[in-house]
Amino acid sequence: MVRVAGRGAEEVAAAARERTDVPVVDVGSTGVPGVEPLVVATDDGRSAFYANATPDDAESVASVIGEPTRALPDADATVTHDETGALPVPDLDGFSGSRSVLARCGWLRPASADDYAESVGFTDAAADEVVDAAGGVLGRGWGDWNADEPAGALWEGVRDRDGSPAVVVNAHGNPGDALLAESDPFAVLEGAAHVARVVDAVQVFVYVSETDERARDTLEAAAAAYPDFPTDVAVVEGPSAYRAAEPTMAIEAVEGNHRLEARLRPPGPEVEGVFGEPTVVHTARTFAHVAGAVRGDDTSTRVLSVTGDTQDVTVELGETDTVRSAVEASGATDYTGVLVGGRFGGLTRKLDVAPTPIALDERDLGTDGVLEVLGSDACPVAFVGRRSQFAADSNCGRCVPCREGSTQLSELLRDIYDGEFNEAKITELLRVMESTSICAFGRNAPRPVRTGLREFRDHFEAHANGECPSGQCLVDADAEAETEAEAATL
Amino acid sequence: MSSQEHPHAEFDVPPLTETIAPGTATDPDVKSAETTTLTVDGHEVTVPEGSTVLDAVEEVETDEYVPALCNYDREDIGPRSECRTCMVETNEGIVPSCSTPAEEGLEVSTDAEAASEARDVNLDLVLSDHNLRCTTCGKNGRCDLQDASIENDVEEPRYGVFDDRDAYEPIDDSSDFIQIDRNKCILCNRCVEACNDVQVEGVLRMEGHGQDTRIGFQNGAETMEGSTCVSCGHCVTVCPTGSLVEKGLEDAATLPIPGFNQKNSVGKVIESSDVEKGPMTPMKADQVTETSRETGGDAEERQWP
Ligand code: SF4
Ligand code: SF4
Ligand code: SF4
Ligand code: FES
Repeated sequence: MVRVAGRGAEEVAAAARERTDVPVVDVGSTGVPGVEPLVVATDDGRSAFYANATPDDAESVASVIGEPTRALPDADATVTHDETGALPVPDLDGFSGSRSVLARCGWLRPASADDYAESVGFTDAAADEVVDAAGGVLGRGWGDWNADEPAGALWEGVRDRDGSPAVVVNAHGNPGDALLAESDPFAVLEGAAHVARVVDAVQVFVYVSETDERARDTLEAAAAAYPDFPTDVAVVEGPSAYRAAEPTMAIEAVEGNHRLEARLRPPGPEVEGVFGEPTVVHTARTFAHVAGAVRGDDTSTRVLSVTGDTQDVTVELGETDTVRSAVEASGATDYTGVLVGGRFGGLTRKLDVAPTPIALDERDLGTDGVLEVLGSDACPVAFVGRRSQFAADSNCGRCVPCREGSTQLSELLRDIYDGEFNEAKITELLRVMESTSICAFGRNAPRPVRTGLREFRDHFEAHANGECPSGQCLVDADAEAETEAEAATL
Repeated sequence: MSSQEHPHAEFDVPPLTETIAPGTATDPDVKSAETTTLTVDGHEVTVPEGSTVLDAVEEVETDEYVPALCNYDREDIGPRSECRTCMVETNEGIVPSCSTPAEEGLEVSTDAEAASEARDVNLDLVLSDHNLRCTTCGKNGRCDLQDASIENDVEEPRYGVFDDRDAYEPIDDSSDFIQIDRNKCILCNRCVEACNDVQVEGVLRMEGHGQDTRIGFQNGAETMEGSTCVSCGHCVTVCPTGSLVEKGLEDAATLPIPGFNQKNSVGKVIESSDVEKGPMTPMKADQVTETSRETGGDAEERQWP
């Protein structure tokens, strides 16, 4: 069998098919786009991996596979393994540790119910079994209404309430959610089916960003092919803006509102969700973990995506591991710092922290499962300033502490460049944004600045004295001065 | 089974939402379900079913002033809970009193430092985006923001006030009955609710996001004149600031300084085009839901630093 994983796989797989009768299949991404398209030739308990394969590479693999007398071309990695229905993790850059919830990414045909059935099988667990086995799964990511809390209590609350419950699969925005949607949609849908049975839902909504076409198409195909899904399923799109992943904005999008803003809470969607009905909102990652828990897999692992000034990768780490492993898997060795835990995560240089909510929270880091690397020449002051400006530009506009607070915060950070570093005024504003904003967008938006101030105080002070230790801001300022000088001579 | 064609097949979709698109979220019910007794700054208060913590706060002489600027709570308008100048401390942390259900046994305090700081900062944040020109404003002396600022002893708003001539929105003076000065709007949403939920006219909506959030028109018109407004005036009645004012009263409360009035205070005015107007309700929101659906991502809107 020859598998071709990742974007661009179609062309490579087509070239291989020309040369062999051995099955050649397109599978989803492995989570390591840097090695893709990845050709994996599996024969007799051995898989040979060819990274960044071209159609020519695929042809040379295909022309010898299945011919006992001829050897495969030299591979970038080779793994001997049992037939487990899961990707045997190769020793290639970007792969880290063993995989549980990501196990099938890059191994199964994403929209093939048969592949999934053969690999792990669909489980028709009774509602009580689901609650017992998966009730302890912690919600993953800021798009999960139950982030970092055990899911079981939420489901039971929804089940016990009068009404026609709904389940929302929030696959919007986070790269880990998008990977699962594209590469293992049945695991996501199976988790949703379990929860739909637990709460006796009348409908499941799968919510994706309008720009994640691949995730949308794959989820739609999988939903159509799913054997006996317990409810109606509809895949709905929202705008790609970051805020649109907020759980109540996800519900607004599902209902078809033309403009998205956060809803008041409490009560949350578990009481009044889609069209006022009690609603469960989890991310795709959470649902995939639920499906894993029901079949007895370890669910303490965390899916982490690394991005920024490095190669993008999505890996899975155990709770005894540290986020350093993920950053190293991306190939980053030299960096100013890492924003841990999403767009509004915490900025840190110390990566010896376990990827668990408790450990991350102790360090004031975020739990959204995204690690953003700041390259070695990046300026942390400019970085948090731009992030604050992002909050000002892209909030939903509803509440004053977030809408006006992020604008004023950006101004206070700009003032530092003019020599005015009013730390008390900045931290006062950070406190009020965090404690009084309506939704997690505004409540988390202060974190990059708060942690940046703590971790890089000397850089802030230097900027107030007209210096940028990394040189980045001065380069920008020089360039600006030059442009102005040029303009003056014209 | 999947239902791409009818994604809401399983739900009774309220019919009103098909023609009226106010652009705001459908909030949950945030009122108490029964009569409750709570304490506010040590005073015991009993409030009826359907009450918020703010209802209890308003019953007693509190230790500190709670502006609750955006709260209206009449005619089913609000709580919008956007200004966050009504924060109080409870045993469950600091909460917006206008939109927190009154709960049996809750201990509320208005003078806790975190709540007090939050009210002050948020009121100053409202002012930071406000074209504070009371002397030329038609609502001078009858403005909730002015009252709240005076009562809260605001002297020097810590973030200043909105004072950037280039960025001012022009005053919309195009309608014969109502003048709009968005530079004074606090986005309390009262007018939108009055127009949609009370009058069921479907004229006004909330639009945009971030600093571009503003009240606009459901038919996509740029001016009040081009909107489907029937001039019932309800929006003006509920507006807490000088953002919506009856024509003829724009200068009713201003100081008589020659050459200095509301219309020239901003410098840009949209006048009536004086064209013959058609029927006052040519179109409701029929096309709006589809044509103006929010799309797209997060544009980097401003350079750094
Ligand atoms: S916190 Fe920000 S994103 Fe959330 S409701 Fe307030 S303005 Fe909107
Ligand atoms: S006056 Fe016009 S805009 Fe105002 S509430 Fe009435 S119909 Fe709506
Ligand atoms: S125009 Fe007046 S009523 Fe309408 S949102 Fe603005 S301040 Fe509130
Ligand atoms: S009065 Fe409560 S948020 Fe404005």
